[in-house]
Amino acid sequence: MRRGLPEPAGQRVPNLAPMVDVIMVLLVFFMLGASLHLTTEGVLQTELDPRSGPGEGAPVEIIPAVQIALEDVDDGRSCNIYVTGEPLEGNSFGHLLAYLRDRREAGADPTNPTVIGAQATVRWNFVVKAMDAAVQAGFKNVQFAVSLGGSGQLSP
Amino acid sequence: MIFRPPKPTSWELNLAPMVDVMMCLIIFFLLATELVDRAHRPMDLPFAVAAQMVDRSEFGSRVVINIHDDDHDLSPAEYVVVGWDGRKITEHVLPPEEIEAFLLSKAQQSTARDEDMRCVIRADKQVAYSDVEVVLRGCGLAQIGKIVFSANAGPDPEDQPEGAQ
Repeated sequence: MRRGLPEPAGQRVPNLAPMVDVIMVLLVFFMLGASLHLTTEGVLQTELDPRSGPGEGAPVEIIPAVQIALEDVDDGRSCNIYVTGEPLEGNSFGHLLAYLRDRREAGADPTNPTVIGAQATVRWNFVVKAMDAAVQAGFKNVQFAVSLGGSGQLSP
Repeated sequence: MIFRPPKPTSWELNLAPMVDVMMCLIIFFLLATELVDRAHRPMDLPFAVAAQMVDRSEFGSRVVINIHDDDHDLSPAEYVVVGWDGRKITEHVLPPEEIEAFLLSKAQQSTARDEDMRCVIRADKQVAYSDVEVVLRGCGLAQIGKIVFSANAGPDPEDQPEGAQ
C-alpha cells in the first residue's frame, strides 16, 4: 500500500461557487430595486416671509417686485397668466421668463418678493412653471399667495 | 528511451475577476438605490429647469408631505406623511383638516430640539393648487419658513417649443 503525501496547503483553492451564487442574488436584487429615475429629482427652495403666520400684530403690507397670477382655463388644461394685474403678452411661460428677465435687467431687486397666486383649480404644474421662470430670471424671494379661508379664489 | 504520456492539464476556472466585477456592481447599485428613503415614493412630479440636485441630508430636520391625486380631478388629494417610529418606516394618510395641527406639532418638536425645520412638499403635477395651498397655509401658521418643492430637474418634455401651455 502506497501512501501519497497530502497536498501542500498552498495549492488548495477555496470553493467560490457559493459566494458567487450569493453575490448574483444580491446583484439581481439591487438591480431590480434600483430606480435610476430618482436621480433626476431636484428641488426648488423658498423661504416664506417671516411676517406670515398667526401674528397678533397689525397686518403688514408686502409690496412685491412682481406679482404673478394664474387663472384656470379649460378645467385645468391650461391657464391665463397675469403679471401685476395685466394679462401677459403671449400668455406662455416662455414669455413670462422673458418678461421677468427684462425686469431684472431693468434693475428689479431680486431680493424683493415675487408673489405667485393661483386660482384653486389651477394645476400645480403651472404654479411650478411660474416659480421656475422666476427662479431662472434670478428672483430669489418667491412667495405664494394663500387664501386664509381656503377658498383659493384669486382675482388677477 | 522511455516515453511517458503527458500529465493531463487541470483546467480551473478563475472566478476572482468575475467576483471583483460583481462586487463593484453591487456597490454601485447599493449607492444608487435608496430603499430606506421612502420619501421618494414614485410620483408624477412637475418639471423645473431651475430645480437643483441637492443631497437630502443637507436639509436636516424636515417633514416630507406627499400630495397625491390618483383621479387627476378636483377631488380632495391624498396627503401622505412619511415617518419613522423608531423601528420601521411608517406612512400616514392625513386628512386635510389635520395638516395644520400636524405641522404645528412638528414645528414645536423641532423648536424644542433647537433645530431648523423644513417642509418638503412633493406634489403630483396634476393636483390642484388648493391642495398644495393647504400645506402652505399650515406651514405659515406653524411658522415653518423654509419650504422645499420637489420637481424633476430639466425641461418639461411635454412642453411645446412655442411656450409652456
